[in-house]
Amino acid sequence: MASRTSPLRSIGRAATPLLWIGPAIALIAVVVLWPVVVMIQSSFQRIGGEGYVVGYNGLDNFRTLFHEPYLSGVLLRTLVWTVGVVVVTMLISLALAQLFNQRFPGRRVARWALIIPWACSVMMTALIFRWALDRSAGVINVFLHDLGLVKLGSNHADWLGNPHWAMFWMMLVAVFVSLPFSTYAILSGLQGIPGDVYEAASLDGATSWRSYRHVTLPLLRPAILVATLINIINVFNSFPIIWEMTKGGPGYQTSTTTTYMVAIKQGNVGESASLSVINFALVIVIVIVYLATTKWKEQVDA
Amino acid sequence: MKHKLTGRVAGAIALATATALALTGCGGSSSSGSGSDTLKLVVADYGTGPDNASSKFWQGIVDDFEKANPDIKVKVTSIPWTNFDQQVQTMVQNKQFPDITEGDYFSNYAQDGLLYKASDVLSKPDNLLPAFKDQGSYNGEQYGMPWTTSSRTLFYNKKIFADAGISAAPKTWADLQADAAKIKAKGETGFGLPLGAEEAQAESLLWMLGAGGGYQTDGKYTIDSAANVTAFTFLKNLVKAGDTEPNPGTVNRTDLWQQFAQGKVGMINGSPALIPIIQKAGVLQDSDWASVPIVGQNGPLDTTLGVCDNVAAFNANGHQAQIKKFLDFAYQDKYQLAFDKEYDLLPATTSAADALASDPIFGPFLTALPKSIQYPSDTSWANVKTKIQQTIGTAVTGDPKQVLGQLQQTATSAS
Amino acid sequence: MSTTLTTATPSALVPPARPPRRRTGKTIAVTIAAYAVAVIFLLPYVEMVLVAGRPANELLDPTYFPQHFTFKNFTTLWSSGGLGGNIATSLEIAAGATLLVLIVALPAAYYTARRKFRGRTLFLLLVLATQMFQPAAMLVGLQREFTDFQLPSPTISLILIDAGFNMAFAVWILNAFFSSIPVELEEAAMVDGCSRVRAMFRITLPLAAPGIVTALIFTFISAWNEFLVALTLSLGSEPSKMPLTVAVNNFIGQYSIDWGHLFAASVIATVPVVILFALIERRVVGGLTAGAVK
Repeated sequence: MASRTSPLRSIGRAATPLLWIGPAIALIAVVVLWPVVVMIQSSFQRIGGEGYVVGYNGLDNFRTLFHEPYLSGVLLRTLVWTVGVVVVTMLISLALAQLFNQRFPGRRVARWALIIPWACSVMMTALIFRWALDRSAGVINVFLHDLGLVKLGSNHADWLGNPHWAMFWMMLVAVFVSLPFSTYAILSGLQGIPGDVYEAASLDGATSWRSYRHVTLPLLRPAILVATLINIINVFNSFPIIWEMTKGGPGYQTSTTTTYMVAIKQGNVGESASLSVINFALVIVIVIVYLATTKWKEQVDA
Repeated sequence: MKHKLTGRVAGAIALATATALALTGCGGSSSSGSGSDTLKLVVADYGTGPDNASSKFWQGIVDDFEKANPDIKVKVTSIPWTNFDQQVQTMVQNKQFPDITEGDYFSNYAQDGLLYKASDVLSKPDNLLPAFKDQGSYNGEQYGMPWTTSSRTLFYNKKIFADAGISAAPKTWADLQADAAKIKAKGETGFGLPLGAEEAQAESLLWMLGAGGGYQTDGKYTIDSAANVTAFTFLKNLVKAGDTEPNPGTVNRTDLWQQFAQGKVGMINGSPALIPIIQKAGVLQDSDWASVPIVGQNGPLDTTLGVCDNVAAFNANGHQAQIKKFLDFAYQDKYQLAFDKEYDLLPATTSAADALASDPIFGPFLTALPKSIQYPSDTSWANVKTKIQQTIGTAVTGDPKQVLGQLQQTATSAS
Repeated sequence: MSTTLTTATPSALVPPARPPRRRTGKTIAVTIAAYAVAVIFLLPYVEMVLVAGRPANELLDPTYFPQHFTFKNFTTLWSSGGLGGNIATSLEIAAGATLLVLIVALPAAYYTARRKFRGRTLFLLLVLATQMFQPAAMLVGLQREFTDFQLPSPTISLILIDAGFNMAFAVWILNAFFSSIPVELEEAAMVDGCSRVRAMFRITLPLAAPGIVTALIFTFISAWNEFLVALTLSLGSEPSKMPLTVAVNNFIGQYSIDWGHLFAASVIATVPVVILFALIERRVVGGLTAGAVK
């Protein structure tokens, strides 16, 4: 008699993976994927500030959005924000990782301090900076006053009131909270490099700068790539810093697409949804472009 | 291989079912969290500190009410003014409906059928001040019930004026500018201009009125009218000359009122509610400040901005009877007068207003009320107001015509 | 090229590279620099504590340190603030999300690491792709979807959302850890009569414990600190039922900004997280290697 697997057994065999990964897929589908569908749906509906669907709106939400005079400023600012913060973060974290890779007494404690901004809520960190930049009493202004650079209570000291300076300070905060993750990512990359690689290089007569450029950096490439990608996504979607420090104002002059989207949501949910769709598409495009230009697949397959 | 496959399959099905059940929500229990007879009361905070927080005041009314009506419970939540609109709108978006709100209300809620009519939840709706009936109406029916009212005047610091050599309060914009410049020379803020998101729509309207403009003309939006542009051009120059605090688009009324109370600001548009703030700060004596009519382009305004804060009753939880009992209770004259005394505001019912008519301080404000200008009441105002709050600050740093034009566009394209 | 970089070997199992010996002078310079950096990183949080300790009348003084450090802001938080309720809510959400991730991610990661089943690559790609999605980008969709679900309370919605968005990271890290544990160990146990599941519990899980703990603590911290979605979904709740981040945000705009109480509440919100992170500081490097350098 030829052995036949019973139908139940084949179903069972096919269902086994589902049992293990099913809940994970279900959770991701419901929480991460379905909202995208709802979002796209909402962007075509007419929804007022109370969240009630009044009717189908076709492409009107998108049209209203593209006619918003503030949109181009917001998009440009988002670009500056993302590129600026990510580039500065990566450069500084490369340096910091080198520093913290050295052996020195109390290294554990120092490394722990490095991690603190990551552990704390970004929102609260932003609030600390907002307080510190207060025009008449903020501690940063007090410090600058003592250095003779700024007069307490003056116009100039009202950093967050001026859109350009506000952007500067907010980007600084964004770098500050992004550094821990990036530094640690590169640190772990550094620790994966065996020491004999350096010895070989110095035997060949390479100076430490050259060995850094030609030996360390290439070996760090995977870590740098991953850290940069994750940073891009986080910084692009960053919300608490801008919201807590300037709320994106005045007149959206310090907004990125994310804060602009939340500001619009108050009055027009449909338009806000259409911006979210654009936002979302932008992230995907950026990621794809990034992966393509850094030849990601080669790295992973190697 | 152990024959556990049937068990595994059954387990998988059970797991999936359980997940599905959990996700579709166990039962249709309302997510507003209210018990069968608990009213959710959401109020705006008028207080200046924990001592006179509005939540305390309302809790007093609620305690009295619950004693008289033991079968109805009321839960009070108070929200700061800066967040009021956003939070209530989000609550509504989340379908976590309150029963009663006191603060701001939007006719959109009436349009969507979310509200009870005033006649449904008040025994004597005609006792409400008729001057504000239109503002709370939609389609000819009144939904928003005024709870408290106020009008705006110009407050100025007599000490700073004397110090700067100014003998009288300003009457025209030219006066105002000259005075502000003198005060600035002495190192204080000449005119406190709050165009931050909290209440930019109020301050803006006062200046528009000063030039003979406003948000609407004959019921149609005219935000970018020539008069309004004139007003903001004047303000732009004022800001540029440094006669106001820096970056007015980022400063709220609450901050500036505190600064005025600290004696750091020469002039500011205020309401009677500024008085307790001044008294609490303890820096200025009663004789150090005074209030005069708002300054217009060519002379003081004879109409002012009449603001009323509205009560709205939501019908999502079906608590009509209980809401009616509570509102009848809360609208009694004694509570109206107590509230107004606590926060230096004006009453919203005819009976309470009559009781206050002879008061030396508040009487004059009351007589001005019927003639006051109010905010638009149509369904696009909600969206327009949000945009004004978020953007009008840039009219004094950028191009007023452009900013006002964009607001006009929002107003006419909405609804 | 170098195999240590492409296999998922947590660096906890690989001996750290030893840099060549340096002169003492250099070490001193390095130490000073490193400590300077550490101080800079700690400064804002020191300031947070200092402001929390300022009495109300000193809040607007332009000084570095308060003249009289006081605990009043902390004590009034408990008596009038209802902060206890906020802490409880945040705890519920963070613990719930962590538990949910544990229950759901662990089996998924284990199975993916051990078996080459059909759709395995697809599943991993799905996980990788969703790592890119962030709640902020999908706020409108999330709000409308969860409003439609009409779940009994925002806390449940937040548990699901926080768990969902941390799933990808958890699965990724756990997958890497499980892959690095030799199958032979489990097979040896199975030869001795254990079922696969029992082998998992008795052999694999204990070995992967560092990775599991790391993933869970990441999830906990991420849920504890989450702000935007919590803000959007819990606005209709009673003030004492809101998560901590939202409660701290509400100090803004109340009577101008109540900085003293705001930072006191922030300090309270931050301390548990800092402690947790100190516990896993070591693991973070290992955890990141497994996930990042794959």
